[in-house]
Amino acid sequence: MANEPSPQFLSSVRLKYVKLGYQYLVNHIMTLLLIPVIIAISVELARVGPDEILSLVRFLYDLDLIYTMSTVFLVIIAGTVYFMSRPRPVYLVDYACFRPPPNFRVPFSTFLEHARLVPQFDERTVRFQVRILERSGLGEETCLPPANHYIPPTCSMEAARGEAELVIFSAIDELLNKTGMRPKNIDILIVNCSLFSPTPSLSAMVVNKYKLRSNIMSFNLSGMGCSAGLISIDLARDLLQAHGNSNALVLSTEIITPNYYLGKERAMLLPNCLFRMGAAAVLLSNCHRQKNRAKYRLTHVVRTHKGADDAAYKCVFQEQDSEGITGINLSKDLMAIAGDALKSNITTMGPLVLPASEQLLFLFSLIARKVFKAEWKPYIPDFRMAFEHFCIHAGGRAVIDELQKNLQLSDRHVEASRMALHRFGNTSSSSLWYELNYIEAKGRMRKGDRVWMIGFGSGFKCNSAVWKCLKTVQTPVEGPWSTCIHRYPVDVPAMVKVL
Amino acid sequence: MEVLATLTVLFLLYSLYLLYKSYILKRSTNCYLVDYVCFKPSSDREITTRKCGEIMERNKTLGLAEYKFLLKVLVGSGIGERTYGPRNIIEGREESPTLDDAIQEMDEFLDVTVHDLFVKTNISPSDVDVLVVNISTFCPAPSLASRIVHRYNMRKDVKTYNLSSMGCSATLVAIDVVQNIFKSGKKTIAVVVTSESISPNWYSGNDRSMMLGNCLFRCGGSVMLLTNDPAMRSQSKMRLKCLVRTHIGANDDAFNSAVQKEDDMGRVGVHLSKSLPKSAVHAFSQNLKRLMPKVLPYREMALLVYRIVKQKVVQRNTKLNTLVAQIDFKSGVDHFCLHTGGTAVIDAVGRALRLSEYDVEPARMTLHRWGNTSASSIWYVLGYMEAKKRLKRNDRVLMISFGSGFKCNSCLWEVCRDLGDGDVWEDCIKDYPPQILVNP
Repeated sequence: MANEPSPQFLSSVRLKYVKLGYQYLVNHIMTLLLIPVIIAISVELARVGPDEILSLVRFLYDLDLIYTMSTVFLVIIAGTVYFMSRPRPVYLVDYACFRPPPNFRVPFSTFLEHARLVPQFDERTVRFQVRILERSGLGEETCLPPANHYIPPTCSMEAARGEAELVIFSAIDELLNKTGMRPKNIDILIVNCSLFSPTPSLSAMVVNKYKLRSNIMSFNLSGMGCSAGLISIDLARDLLQAHGNSNALVLSTEIITPNYYLGKERAMLLPNCLFRMGAAAVLLSNCHRQKNRAKYRLTHVVRTHKGADDAAYKCVFQEQDSEGITGINLSKDLMAIAGDALKSNITTMGPLVLPASEQLLFLFSLIARKVFKAEWKPYIPDFRMAFEHFCIHAGGRAVIDELQKNLQLSDRHVEASRMALHRFGNTSSSSLWYELNYIEAKGRMRKGDRVWMIGFGSGFKCNSAVWKCLKTVQTPVEGPWSTCIHRYPVDVPAMVKVL
Repeated sequence: MEVLATLTVLFLLYSLYLLYKSYILKRSTNCYLVDYVCFKPSSDREITTRKCGEIMERNKTLGLAEYKFLLKVLVGSGIGERTYGPRNIIEGREESPTLDDAIQEMDEFLDVTVHDLFVKTNISPSDVDVLVVNISTFCPAPSLASRIVHRYNMRKDVKTYNLSSMGCSATLVAIDVVQNIFKSGKKTIAVVVTSESISPNWYSGNDRSMMLGNCLFRCGGSVMLLTNDPAMRSQSKMRLKCLVRTHIGANDDAFNSAVQKEDDMGRVGVHLSKSLPKSAVHAFSQNLKRLMPKVLPYREMALLVYRIVKQKVVQRNTKLNTLVAQIDFKSGVDHFCLHTGGTAVIDAVGRALRLSEYDVEPARMTLHRWGNTSASSIWYVLGYMEAKKRLKRNDRVLMISFGSGFKCNSCLWEVCRDLGDGDVWEDCIKDYPPQILVNP
């Protein structure tokens, strides 16, 4: 009696099978329709004897040879032109993330102690920052650059350049080592760093250090927020479409040194608590040679800019507080705006990646609600059918929670984002690469898997990129997680008591 | 057999259709400059030489020697009496610029020029597909590109790129981004915004190598609308023929020739080293090497090859400098837009390319009227040529600019139709060229 499953369970299982059957039917409709056609043709061929076929061939010979040859040539030329004008595939050969050295660690106790000793912070400010840190989802091993360990933090240009050189050169050195790429073979260089852009630019700094060629196409993007990594990938893709046989080096980072807020405005203290050191170097290529060594292929990039909307534009805003100290103001409706931006992005992304079954369901639900005014909840397409892995920008615990709810993802899907936030903090545009590395280090990346990277940034932008894995990634993986992957995943409590 | 015939016809038609599609795609990879607008700040922002001197007097860290040096630079700079500065410096707040000052400077520029561009070209902001902004020394969050999207309510799938700190040659980097996006063949409309932010970058110390920026840079900016749609060819002004970028950052001296850093007192300024002219020459020659085959007509190239062969083989002389000096660039280029980095820069480039006074006149007059407006200067030079009605159909215009890092970028445009729009030069073009350029 106890072993008999309840009727509810049975019905839900039946429903699940119905749904599976429906999805299979719709996604393979072309194949299913083609089968009777193939059967009909083969039956016809079997009926027709071999002499009929021979007479067909003789007929062709009888036709003027010129006409036949010219037709054949025309078809061949058209076919070649068509294949050549198709967009070039963009391969991700490899990527490397900056591994912060342990002596840059900022455990909660250090953060609290330093905050108390900084003269510009009063007791209220310190308590507020610590409260944020307790609920942030960050762990004890996140790192800040050397300048921020001074009391008070020394935010000079020289210190900022020092941090830039450290993170950028480490990441690029590791990448060049991994891929065996010679600096002279790099054709395109894109560097994105939001809040620090000295003259000469960081891209010029990279050209100087690695002695890149004089005809390099270099670009330095700045001020584009935490989604700038995917904007750089988009630019690299456009450039690789215009230039064949090229290699592009994309560098995403955020330099923390000059942006430590030393004022009292609450909304501007949040970045102090969340942003940490990080950088990622990515090598993209459209060379045919690299196809066998490449890890991923870029299939789609979708960019959404909600700047036209006032609230979205003002949501992440750099301004000066009443005392004239510059900081980044994060508004309270950040989550709602992020959710909204994501919905816009999904509307464009959905048709590109969702299987036909999900799109039809979404269409039916939309028609029913709009035309027949049915009182149904809006159908959220099941993105787990389109992707195996999700890399959500580790902006903060709240962002990840909100997206998990919006996309109806399980804990396992957002595990990479939560763990990257815990171990490295919010490393801005490079966080997506730390998350990807987590998934690989856990041995979950298989050939054919699709990865969806979602980044958010000031403006308000929501950008996403879809990658397809070209070969199963073998563990152990060399990267920022190599020394600590065995300890993960950890359970990140909602609040860690510090004070 | 009818089946076979039908199949063949179908295949043929489909092949022809594919060929036609590829042809259309190829046709749409041209980059057309539909129009451009330069910025004219309001007249209450004009700075005369005397006013410049007064502003410099306010810097208490300067000694008499430094003050004299600055005045000498100012007087010999070729900059006239009607250039424009940012409000905070004119109002005496140069030592403590606020974020609002910098944003206000940008807003004054963006509100006027971008609006004028849309009106002139009859394009609505929601038609813009790509927006590239390069404002070198100021990048707030959210970026100025987002600021423009917000101000003009652009579409949510607009592709924005905010380039930063790429120096005075950044406008051609922005055009490079746009021309690469155009190569995909899809009909796109792009807007490029170029300017420089002066307010937050005043140097308030007394290191001589960092003070030149204060004297020479002025406010200005320009906005361009580009497209690859062949249907807009008739209303376009110019077509891009080639663009060459050279980056000699691999050379340490070149990289360190213009560096933003703190002086001994901790004040931030841009340090210009003594190796700057040499780096500029090096970058320029590298750029010319790649530009020449694309710009010079075949006859000139053949002549050059003949001379090289004659010199190397017959005379056993491997010095090629004199040969390069004999090349007549004017056979391939009709007009020259030179970056107005200073009189020295204009003179040096003019000498290298064997240009006459008539050729460098636009650059000199732009320097006189507007000062060194950094990246947007070449658009003011182009404006001068247009106002003087020099640009005729099928003329070729060469733009050359230099930037920190060290970069030298150049591009060649072909004029689509006779141009005569005076734009910002309308009110003063009759006074140019003036009888005397020397500063009293």
